Amino acid sequence: MKLVDCARVIRSKNAGPTTLSLDLMFEDDARFRQALSSPALTATALAPLYGVPVESVEVIPYAPAFAIKIVLPRKIIAGAPGDRDVYGAQQHGPLLGVEL
Amino acid sequence: MSGANVGRPNHLDRLRQRLVKDGRREPFLALSASGQLGNGVLERAFRAGLERRPHSIGADMGSVDPGPNYLGSGKMAASDTIARQDLALVLEGARAHDLPLLIGSAGTAGARPHLDHTLDLVRSIARERGLHFRLASIAADMPREVVKAAIRRGEVAPIGAIDALTEADVDGAAHLVGQMGIEAFQRALAMGADVVVAGRACDTAVFSAIPAALGYPVGPAMHMAKIIECCSIACMPGGRDAALGTLDEGGFTMESMNPDRHATPLSVAAHSLYEQADPYTVSEPEGTLDVEHARYLALDAHRCRVEGALWRPAARPSVKIEGATRVGERALLLAGCADPRAIARIKTILPEVEQVVRGIVAGDYRMYFRVYGIDGVVDWPSPPAVPPREVFILGEVIADSTDLAKAATTVLKQYLLHHGFPGRLSTAGNVAFPITPPEVQTGTAYRFSAYHVMQVDALEPLFPVVMEDI
Repeated sequence: MKLVDCARVIRSKNAGPTTLSLDLMFEDDARFRQALSSPALTATALAPLYGVPVESVEVIPYAPAFAIKIVLPRKIIAGAPGDRDVYGAQQHGPLLGVEL
Repeated sequence: MSGANVGRPNHLDRLRQRLVKDGRREPFLALSASGQLGNGVLERAFRAGLERRPHSIGADMGSVDPGPNYLGSGKMAASDTIARQDLALVLEGARAHDLPLLIGSAGTAGARPHLDHTLDLVRSIARERGLHFRLASIAADMPREVVKAAIRRGEVAPIGAIDALTEADVDGAAHLVGQMGIEAFQRALAMGADVVVAGRACDTAVFSAIPAALGYPVGPAMHMAKIIECCSIACMPGGRDAALGTLDEGGFTMESMNPDRHATPLSVAAHSLYEQADPYTVSEPEGTLDVEHARYLALDAHRCRVEGALWRPAARPSVKIEGATRVGERALLLAGCADPRAIARIKTILPEVEQVVRGIVAGDYRMYFRVYGIDGVVDWPSPPAVPPREVFILGEVIADSTDLAKAATTVLKQYLLHHGFPGRLSTAGNVAFPITPPEVQTGTAYRFSAYHVMQVDALEPLFPVVMEDI
C-alpha cells in the first residue's frame, strides 16, 4: 500500500531554520500502527530519499494524534543563498512514492 | 476606563486579589488575539473573545520562520497598514476592559529596530485615539560580550544542523537576539505595566507569564500557551480566529472564538507536532514543558479539555539566540523554457553558461540555479522520469556589491539566451523572459549565523525593561 493512500495528512515544515519536520497523520490507530511497523518508514529507508545520513534521521511515533514525525537536518539553513524552501513547507514530495 | 494605572496596584496584584481565594484559584481566562499580529486580526472572533471577560490578552507578532532577511535588515515582514490596524484593535480592546496586553516578538524578528518601530506605532495609535496606559518595552538584543564570554566557557551549543558559534559570528551579525521567557514579562507587569511590548520572545510567554506568576501550575499554563499561541490553528478546521484558554489548577480548556472552528482532542493533540522537532517536550528559558502524559478530552463538540502536562524547572536558565549576517547583495534572473532539447540538457547548460559569465565578469560572486519542473522546490535524489513540458529557471547571484550582482546577472541573461549546444533547434533564443527587465535587484541578502542555545546565570540582565507613561 502506498503511504499517500494510507495517511490523512503528509506535511513538512521547518522546526527552526536548521531542522525539517515531516508529519504523517493517520485516520485511526490501526492505520497508524500499520505504518509504524513498515520498514519503509525507518531512518535507513528514509535517509536516501532526502540525501542525508541515516544517523541524522529521527522517526518519532506520536500516538495521541495517530501520527509519525520524521525529523531531518536541513541541508541549507532556511533562507541562506541557494535555499529552495524557506519555510520548508513543500518537502513532503519524496514521501509520496513511499510503499508501506 | 482608559486612564493610566499610575498609583494603582499592578495587574498581577489585582488579578491575585480577584482570582486567588483561600489558596484556591478560580479559572484564569487567557485570550489569544493573534499568532501573527500585523497580518490581520479577525475582528469578529476577537470581539467575541472580549465578551467572555478574559483576564489577559496576548499576541505573538513574530517568528524565525520567514527567514533571516527580517532579523538582518531590521525590517518588519508585516505591512505598516495592517500592523497599525491590528495593534489598534488589541490596544483599544485591552484598554476598554483594563486588561493587561502582552505582545511578543515585536515587528517580526524582535531586534531593536523592530521593537522601536512597533513602539512608534503603539505611541502613534495611543495619541490618535486618546489612550493612556503604562507601557513597558523589553529589548531582546544580546550583549555581544556576554555571548562571546559564554562561547569561551563552552556554554553555547548549536540547535540542529548549524556550525558551532564563533566570536567572529557574534561580531559579524547584523542583529543578535535572544528569546525571552516568562520572567521578563512578569518583571514588566510587577513594575506596573498595562501593555508590554517585547522584542524576541518565546511564543508561549505572552500567555503563560501571568498565570505562572499567580501560582497556577506551570505545566498546564505553558501547555495552554503552546496550544493557543497560534489561535485557532489547533482546531478543525484550522483558522486564525482568536482562541480562549481557560486554565484551572488541574488543566485547561481550549476553545475557538469562531463557533465554526472546533477544538477536538485530535486537533489539539496534533498541534504538538506543528513546527516542533520533538512533539513531547518544549524547551523554555526557565525549564521544559513535558506533554508526554497529557490527556485530551472532548468537553463537547467545540471545546477540548487538556490535563497532565508537566513542568520541569531548569537547573540553570538558557536562552535561544538568533543572529543574521549579511552575505552580500542579491540579484535574480527570471526565465522560462519550453524547448525540449534545452530542457533535456538544462542541468548541463546552466553550469556551462556560468563558466562563460565567470570568464567575462571578474570578481567574487556566487551563482545558484533552481529549475522549476526539475529541482526548483526539492533537491530530489534523481531526475524526473518524464521531462517536463516547460521549466522555469530562477538564477540567483550573490555578490559583494549591487553593481557586481547586476553585472553577473545581465551577462548571465544574455549568454543563457544565446548559449549554443549540440542539437540546438531553437537557434534564436533558449529562454523566454516573462518580464522586462528580467533581472531583479532584491537588495541585501542575509543568512542565519546564529541559532544556538546559551546557558546563563540570570535572565534579568539580558532583557531590560523600560517603562513609559502614555
